[in-house]
Amino acid sequence: MEFKQDRMSRQERMQALYNYQKPDRVPIFEDGNFFCMINVGYRLTDLYSNPQRAFDALIWTCEQYGWEPERHCSSAHAVLGTPDFGGRIKSPESIYSQGLSVEETAVQTEDDVWNLKMPDPKTAGVIPIRMEFSKLEEKAGMPVTFLARSPLCSGAEICGVERFCAWMHKKPELCHRLIRMGMNHTLEALQHWVDTFGAGKVYYQMSSPTESNQVISPKHFQEFALPYHREFHKRLRAMGINQFHFHICGEQNLNLPYLARLAASPDGWPHPSILSFGHEVDITNAAQYFPKDIILGNIEPALFQSGTPQPIYELCRKTIEKGKKIPGGFILAPGCGMPPRAPGYNVWMMTKAVHDFGWYD
Amino acid sequence: MASEQRANEVLKGLCDGVVAFDEETVGKFSKAAVEEGVDAYDAITKGLAHGMGKVGELYAAHEYFVPELLLCADALYVGLDILRPHLKRSDSGKSARRIVLGVAEGDVHDIGKNLVKIMFDAAAWEVYDLGKDVPLGSFVEEQQRTNADVVGVSALMATSMLAMPEVTRMIKTRNPNVVVMLGGAPLTREIARSYGADGYADNAGEAVREAVRLVEVIK
Repeated sequence: MEFKQDRMSRQERMQALYNYQKPDRVPIFEDGNFFCMINVGYRLTDLYSNPQRAFDALIWTCEQYGWEPERHCSSAHAVLGTPDFGGRIKSPESIYSQGLSVEETAVQTEDDVWNLKMPDPKTAGVIPIRMEFSKLEEKAGMPVTFLARSPLCSGAEICGVERFCAWMHKKPELCHRLIRMGMNHTLEALQHWVDTFGAGKVYYQMSSPTESNQVISPKHFQEFALPYHREFHKRLRAMGINQFHFHICGEQNLNLPYLARLAASPDGWPHPSILSFGHEVDITNAAQYFPKDIILGNIEPALFQSGTPQPIYELCRKTIEKGKKIPGGFILAPGCGMPPRAPGYNVWMMTKAVHDFGWYD
Repeated sequence: MASEQRANEVLKGLCDGVVAFDEETVGKFSKAAVEEGVDAYDAITKGLAHGMGKVGELYAAHEYFVPELLLCADALYVGLDILRPHLKRSDSGKSARRIVLGVAEGDVHDIGKNLVKIMFDAAAWEVYDLGKDVPLGSFVEEQQRTNADVVGVSALMATSMLAMPEVTRMIKTRNPNVVVMLGGAPLTREIARSYGADGYADNAGEAVREAVRLVEVIK
């Protein structure tokens, strides 16, 4: 089939968004490197052990599907609570696996929390591998991505989400200690990126799945997440980082008013930032809460896996039509990581829908 | 032997204690049930399980969340620990229902499965929990070993969903009369049906009701 010719380069398209100007068409992000790995015939484990393969898979797949690789939604976290603090993780070996999984958390008991030591921010876990990946991004003239969990999620990863939830009512001091240690470790590792590449090149990405209302209440969000978001952004500003992408993962509708107040305040993130949402949050609603930011999303990932092309295309069309009206800008993407074994033609429906409906004429 | 009025007070105390995640109250009324001759099976099913049913409704209504559910479960298990030893031998016939639970191979997200386990424990089912990242064959083997009426498989990740039609087929090939239920965020009832499953639930409370219904239909 013949597509309309792009009138802008990828860089021009993204720059237009960042300048609150209309690009030639809606950009497309893939959200997640897992699909890229399988798409080019590599293994999922290569994402965490072979930076060159991980980078090639991203670039080749973006070329194939017409996606924007710069500021791609990484799924490979630089900082991980479990291995970094001494727990054990398992590589995705099974054909049914999607990513790293936790075999044993770093913290099992209350005493473990108080005895926990800070890891080395340059050598812990997969940090060295991700550093090599970032060097490849820099060499290609791209922003260097650094993906980590939000402070609350970092803390919960150290002990396991269920244990963390159990402690929220009974032993909140344990949760607060873990959140602080997780946050501090993330910032120390991030400083390593800043020292290596310069703050201006770092594109910081944060994900927050444990903050979703499928797990915690808005009351607990205010107590255990919001204060740390505020502090985190203060420290990001002090480091000179001004490129931010927040993946507000899952059902977070009850949290949005609080995040919106933060975003509108001097304590929030820089504008425009990219805010990505799952299918649980309507993007028009999201845009009303965050009028100064670029909204990314939000096609349900499972549909790419188990759906058929035409309904996916139709959903993409509807989402594009909503997204084009967003004053802060819009990027079409899955609502969370693209399933690695999604049929290629299903995935292609995003590209087809953008080229049929995504032009700003 | 407690009067009917007193028995109802005890059952209400158990129920309310679970909903309020009040371990002390549940402990107090569980001991009272034992000491005053309230039937242990009734105390579990009409007291504790009734409370967990209400907790499930509160969770579905976004009034309770995972931390609250876990506290309610702690209260529930205080009661179960006191009451279970006092179940009469004849009670085992009233709920000879067994379920094997596990998270599909490749997936380690088990909070949802753990909440379902709590609900089935509360409803006095025998629960065989295989944990997370369960190889497909283990579901089949455990069902055979325990003669479970139901096998429940959950997944949070789209990739792990791919395991579900295969494990359903494996279970049904070995024993077509076993109820297979699927659950997890990326699933819908239609997807579960297309995978060959008998049932689906989108929350822990609903899972028990669906399992009871399906066991009665198939058996």
